[in-house]
Amino acid sequence: MSAGASNPEFVNARVRSRRASLFSEEEYRKLVRMGPSGIARFMEETEYEREINRLGTRFSGVDLIEYALNRNLAKHFDDLLDWSEGRLYDLIARYLRKFDVWNVKTVIRGIYTDATPEEISTDLVRAGELDDATLDRLIEADSVEEVVELLSGTVFGDPLEAAYEAYETTGMLVPLENALDRAFYELLLEDLGRPTEGPEALYVEFLQAEIDFRNARNALRIARSGADLDPVEFYIEGGVLFTESELSRLVGDYDALIEHVADNGRYGARLSTALDRLREAESLIQFEHAVDAALLEYADTLSSVYPVSVSGVLSYVLAKEREVENIRAIARGKEVGLSEAEIEEELVIT
Amino acid sequence: MELELVNAMAQVAPILEAMTEEAAAELAEGYALAAAAIAVGLAALGSGYAERGIGAAAVGAIAEDRDMFVPGIVLTVLPETLVIFAIVVIFLV
Repeated sequence: MSAGASNPEFVNARVRSRRASLFSEEEYRKLVRMGPSGIARFMEETEYEREINRLGTRFSGVDLIEYALNRNLAKHFDDLLDWSEGRLYDLIARYLRKFDVWNVKTVIRGIYTDATPEEISTDLVRAGELDDATLDRLIEADSVEEVVELLSGTVFGDPLEAAYEAYETTGMLVPLENALDRAFYELLLEDLGRPTEGPEALYVEFLQAEIDFRNARNALRIARSGADLDPVEFYIEGGVLFTESELSRLVGDYDALIEHVADNGRYGARLSTALDRLREAESLIQFEHAVDAALLEYADTLSSVYPVSVSGVLSYVLAKEREVENIRAIARGKEVGLSEAEIEEELVIT
Repeated sequence: MELELVNAMAQVAPILEAMTEEAAAELAEGYALAAAAIAVGLAALGSGYAERGIGAAAVGAIAEDRDMFVPGIVLTVLPETLVIFAIVVIFLV
């Protein structure tokens, strides 16, 4: 938490400028026609110049693209936290903690699979609230227990400690990872209350949408895979689409689940095309992309309702993430030899 | 004796009356000037507040792109017109 006045004007001006320089649909079309080395060369002439040059001697091909994307993403999101002050910092940091979750998960998985510190380090996205020194110490840790101990002072400390016992008895990472995810989502909406008007009401609405979509996605995945998992274990509180009991009831009945989403006043219309496709039993991936696109559009709408607030920043964060995912999808798709049409299916462009 | 006093009063009364009218006019002018001063001050305060946000945004835009310097300055001083209009009030009173 930080005190003092916030500076949304400054942050918004910078963010909007950067938002404007993200890749357009046309540039994606060009990228889809290139090979991995071509993509790297193309990136060298854009926003990603510095990262490509710095990493160019150590990596090549798709790895180079991937690490450059991660570095660039981290740089931009770190800037956001650098610029913002007061309440605005608080609201942005809440959301960017998802990279902390990602990093801690990566570290734990790395230690679990005996990866070297260098290997773990390249996979981190240094964008969250945990500073570099803490992350470096986490990488050097020898055991999962040490990681849990190192994080004891942070917001993830208590949930991780609680989950550590379950990890020790089962030997599986799932309880730890669930604890991290839950801590993140619980902190998202903590002490924001339910404001009814102003930018913060929209911020809460956006986060609720994110939670709802996450729940819907998990439920659909469980329903599709037919795995015998308890959906309640994956339920995230704070959304408006499902209650816990609704979710566990609906997971058993695939069609009812889709109807439930479609009937919802807030999201039904927005997701109607995606839901139609899902009814025809097309791939779940298509639906997930549609959900991502809907969230992106949603954030954009919010940012034009209150131009000078946290909404603009959020919409940038989402758009930037999307760009990184898109380029990664293109590069990886090319690597395994997917056709252009297949790769275009994988992209989320709004 | 009494008659003399009445006569004297009768002579002084118009002068006194004229004097209070003068004082009242002076007082009114003073009030008008004070009001104008307050008006200009408030206008300056208002434009200062407006420029605070625009200036912050302009600096942000310039930091991203040097070419935004001129548009940034123009937009930043735009609320300054408020003070200029307020100065007109001074000449009107």
